[in-house]
Amino acid sequence: MQPLSSIYSQIIDGLSVGFESNSAWYNDDKKTGAFNDQINNDQDKHLRINNYLKFDYNFLSKFTASVQVESYEPFALLNYSTNLNGTNLGTYSLMYNSQKINATVGHFYEQFGSGMILRNWEDRQLGINNSLFGSKINYRLLDFADLTAIYGAQRVGFKTSDAKIFGFNSEFQLDSVFKWNDTALCVGFSYVGREQDIDFETPNFEALTNAYSVRLDYSHGNIYSSAEYVLKSNDAVVQSNQISNEFIKPGSGFLFNAGYSKKGFGLDATFRRLENMSFSSDRKNSGNVFFENVINYTPGLTKQHDYLLTNIFVYQAQSSVSFLDPELMVAGEIGGQIDLFYNIKKETVFGGKYGTKIAFNASYWAGLKGDFSYTNQDYNTKMFGFGDKYFSDISLEVRKKWSSKWNSIFYVVNQFYNKKYIEGNFGAKPINANIVVLESTHKLGNGRSVRLEGQKLWSDSKSHDWTGGTLEFNFNSKFSIYINNIYNSGDDPSTENTHYYNAGGSLTKGATRIALNYGRQRAGLICVGGVCRFVPEATGLTASITIAF
Amino acid sequence: MNKIFFFISLFISPYTFSQELPSTVLKDMDGSSINLQMFTESENIVVLSFWATWCVPCINELDAISEIYEEWVDETQVKLIAIATDDTRTKKRIRPLVNGKGWEYLVLYDDNQSLKRALNITSLPHTLVLKNNKIIHRRTGYIPGIEDELYKVIKENSN
Repeated sequence: MQPLSSIYSQIIDGLSVGFESNSAWYNDDKKTGAFNDQINNDQDKHLRINNYLKFDYNFLSKFTASVQVESYEPFALLNYSTNLNGTNLGTYSLMYNSQKINATVGHFYEQFGSGMILRNWEDRQLGINNSLFGSKINYRLLDFADLTAIYGAQRVGFKTSDAKIFGFNSEFQLDSVFKWNDTALCVGFSYVGREQDIDFETPNFEALTNAYSVRLDYSHGNIYSSAEYVLKSNDAVVQSNQISNEFIKPGSGFLFNAGYSKKGFGLDATFRRLENMSFSSDRKNSGNVFFENVINYTPGLTKQHDYLLTNIFVYQAQSSVSFLDPELMVAGEIGGQIDLFYNIKKETVFGGKYGTKIAFNASYWAGLKGDFSYTNQDYNTKMFGFGDKYFSDISLEVRKKWSSKWNSIFYVVNQFYNKKYIEGNFGAKPINANIVVLESTHKLGNGRSVRLEGQKLWSDSKSHDWTGGTLEFNFNSKFSIYINNIYNSGDDPSTENTHYYNAGGSLTKGATRIALNYGRQRAGLICVGGVCRFVPEATGLTASITIAF
Repeated sequence: MNKIFFFISLFISPYTFSQELPSTVLKDMDGSSINLQMFTESENIVVLSFWATWCVPCINELDAISEIYEEWVDETQVKLIAIATDDTRTKKRIRPLVNGKGWEYLVLYDDNQSLKRALNITSLPHTLVLKNNKIIHRRTGYIPGIEDELYKVIKENSN
């Protein structure tokens, strides 16, 4: 009989475990108010913990069994859905994976094209897990074709949706057929169907909504480009959880991207038009703030800024139809984004001894142009017209290394934020803001370094005039601490004359990380991948532990 | 007694037993499918660095290594594969960023984060060192200067 330790090692070699725990101990804040959880209607349970424990077991060299246990006790952190409550099995699956075939039963994640037609993903910070529960099969024919078929119901909390989703995806790498060397050409086609029973007596729309996607990717030498067009069949428009039997519309999405890049220089441009492109596995729950039942992925295509003051005015993609008021009608959005990267070479005038790195970004988003009628609850849009301006953002980042011990980043941003359309706030005037950030890092030797950052935001609105700063000290590769603060000297009623301070640190060893933070958090949006979750104002201690082995 | 031994070994396992990298196929910047095992099933050290265009410490780490990468390769034949976990919102920025900076690494796309999920990676940057398709070292986070510690691990384990 094999020695016990050898059996244990065989089991453990195939097992990988991941644990994440995010907790908060909320305080009653003398300045901003007592702790109040509006979602769960609770003022007592100040300590909240979200836990995720995932086991992956690889066996017989091609199989993987996977289980993720989730625990939200006594309630989840503030502003997560009430469906995430208690302790339960979150996802589980069995997967077979070889060079040609991948087959999965149970929960799986899939993305077709850019995700505009279908995307399943998990994001614990946003409380999103829209994996499908069913089966998936994927077949790869040499280098040429990649085919996938899926069927399932969507995960919502610890349950699944009533609606069934099925789809098919195909991608063909044509350059492998023609054996081109410097050129790549790929075409793709997808179909996704969502079938959900209808409660009405005589519905004016079908239970089955069909969506189609065609894609083309072309690159040659230093140039690359891609285009995707998605079409969604007629379906009822849902506003404030009300399914309308009279307001029936199709949806469409068009995404185009092109760029040029070579050593030291990169240029990228994206254009997108969305019309009625929200796609949900539960019509009534369409457009909910927790992103439950979302089948596709239409993120805000703007630059992800890294600094506190640059994330006060954040754009959220306007992909749905929303007729709140005759003055406030939205059916989609149109716009684009440009990125430019440039390396000024070493030993030149502006490059200096180590060179200088420059990054420029600009984005512009507007409503669709056309005829909108509030009384008739209908609209007619023009293909490429630009309606009211919703958002624009222009930024320039300059990174400079002064010596082996010093480097700095200089960052300026100009933003236009149309509060009325982005927040659905009728009386609000648009805001023009300018932000400047300066940060410097100094290496002290022996793995120690210190980083200092200062930020300032000016706007044409009396409500917003912000100042902020961060100080971070790294003791060694394992331990670091920081302190930061932002303050609004403008007269915005929810944030005026309040210091949003934070202090904390993190300990890292291998794949284990523990982070602690105490502070006051501003009410606002936490955005990951262009998808945003609203967090209320809160003060307290937060801790986060992640371990992977 | 055996039960106690089992639980103790479960806790010290991260330090004594090494996990195999699951069989993975990812696309490169030209859209070709690359089988990771083609590189990882070798005696030479492979470093997998998980990053994203919006992750400043990730870019700082890859910038710092890019200045000494040629020396690392000359001395140890190490191969660094930079796995971009950007989803399609920021995926288009990868190519101009990588080429603009002149990085010499092989860059692969994990745009629905399936490899990141399979390896239980929750924060970026996250770096794994592999030999013979087994993970021999992993670390999350970056502060200026710790690429030297990474190189120590590479040197110790290369032939």
